[in-house]
Amino acid sequence: MSARSEKADGVPEQSGAPALALRRIGKAFGQVKALARVDLAAYPGEIHFIVGDNGAGKSTTLKILSGIYQADEGEVLIHQQPVHMRDASEAHRHGIAVVHQDLALVECLDVATNMALGAIPRRGRFMLDRARMERDAAEVLANLKIRVGSVRTQIGLLSGGERQIVAIARAVRMNLPIILLDEPTAALGVRETAHVGDILDELRRQGKTVICISHDLEFVFAHADRITVMRLGNSVATLMRRNTTRDEVVGMITGTIEALDPERAGAA
Amino acid sequence: MSIKTENGASRQAPRRLNAEAFLRPETTLIAVILAIGIATAFRNPNFLNVGNLTDIARAAVIYFVMACGASLLMIGGGLDFSVGSVFTLGGITAAWLMAHAGLSWPFAIAVGLLVGTLAGYANSQVIARLHVPPIIATLGTFFIFTGLCVQITGGQDIVPLPKDFQRLGQGSVLGVPFVVIYAVVIGFIAWFVLEHTPFGVEVRAVGGNRKAAVANGLKVKRIETVLYMLGGFTASLAGIIYAARVGSGQVSAGGSGVTLSVVTAVLIGGISLLGGLGSITGVAVGAILLSTIDNALIVAAVPPQYNTIVVGVILIAAVAIDHVRRERLYRVRR
Repeated sequence: MSARSEKADGVPEQSGAPALALRRIGKAFGQVKALARVDLAAYPGEIHFIVGDNGAGKSTTLKILSGIYQADEGEVLIHQQPVHMRDASEAHRHGIAVVHQDLALVECLDVATNMALGAIPRRGRFMLDRARMERDAAEVLANLKIRVGSVRTQIGLLSGGERQIVAIARAVRMNLPIILLDEPTAALGVRETAHVGDILDELRRQGKTVICISHDLEFVFAHADRITVMRLGNSVATLMRRNTTRDEVVGMITGTIEALDPERAGAA
Repeated sequence: MSIKTENGASRQAPRRLNAEAFLRPETTLIAVILAIGIATAFRNPNFLNVGNLTDIARAAVIYFVMACGASLLMIGGGLDFSVGSVFTLGGITAAWLMAHAGLSWPFAIAVGLLVGTLAGYANSQVIARLHVPPIIATLGTFFIFTGLCVQITGGQDIVPLPKDFQRLGQGSVLGVPFVVIYAVVIGFIAWFVLEHTPFGVEVRAVGGNRKAAVANGLKVKRIETVLYMLGGFTASLAGIIYAARVGSGQVSAGGSGVTLSVVTAVLIGGISLLGGLGSITGVAVGAILLSTIDNALIVAAVPPQYNTIVVGVILIAAVAIDHVRRERLYRVRR
């Protein structure tokens, strides 16, 4: 692990305690109440999916977790300590890596540079260490069995799927304890989706806390440990995957199932 | 160290070759300069005199020094229309301090540069805090700074300037004018910052995709502030060099003509108005092309209106090529 993640990870992982939690989060944009009440607790070594219809508040929740938006009400807790993140770099310092839905890649820069953005390797105090940047990127891509041509290829030349994979590789490269992904398989074909699933499984094995937004319930049920269902700005339930069914989750997404049996949910 | 796959490599290679060729607008510009040079030399062989070529270099210096800051700024997605007035402000401030306050030239230059840098800071704050688009913010400050210059000087040129100061702009070593040496040094620093420092990478990231830069935790507002300050710094530096070269603080130097020439040199040099793309070497060639056209049309006794027509045509062609470059570089999003 890099020095950064050790620092971010200063509090030792305790099994049983959530690495990242939201408590009664509310957020409004002018008249529009995007989030009414969101509770969430994500644990190390687990893949935690957030599902819900369009407009349920999934992306807003993720943007609060990643420091891009600030909640109007409620608390964000990292290792049970309340934190107030003012921008994306603070989330980074708290040990959170993010893969945004729009991928946040710079088209005119190459793969290696994009993967280093936000933590560019230096030689001495002022010099850019391009050789290390390219080596690091190639190594991460090789470890993840990702093939995107050369690391000097400009992002603008890649296909949507390749860009998606590079964005995920960038988050993995940061080697931070918490990884957030917003619709990581939206632009992908079957084979690439399976590949992303493998990457998520590997992150779980490494003991990372993975929070992932997805519409693809097949993907969710193939990889989830925990599933939080959101509806109309509320987190309506958090379910253990082994104790639930697709029908139940779909029912909660659409609102035909309202009640939550807390015993079966077995979560936060 | 790159990862290549059988199909990946073969798929990327031809595209990449095209991209490389398009990424080097210098090649085209040098060809244009040579074409103009040869055509002019046929009409008037004096064009190739060492003295005349030195004049071309000397004239390019002023554009180029300003363009160094302006290029970094434009690559970072900014735009500064006030450079022409900051040019005057820097020259006038230094000249006034030497002529009327009796300050020694090193101090006068330092204060002149400080004033220029602060002017850049003012630009960045108008844009960031008042949320005025860069083109309007810097057009506004252009008029304000121009007014200040007239206020300071009462509309009169400032003379006399100390001999030592004038030598900085007029001297030469082994036939190479000092001003050309300054330009090479400034250009090298700008190139180094852009290509070999983390700051340079971040500048391209901000200009290439500001939202992505924010999402990746870059201090975008700080980077933009620094870029506007650098723009002000190089504009005032060029103004001071110009004052030293002509031996007076001229209130009529600079202005909108200089602003437009600098922006033109930057665009012709292959810096994209949309940010992210471009190089300092391209801008150097762009500045030399502008001063070559100026000079060639005089030497070849072509009526002056052709000068602006030629510059206009080249500017439009350069930006049109930039569009083609982007289309070839990036896949069109479906």
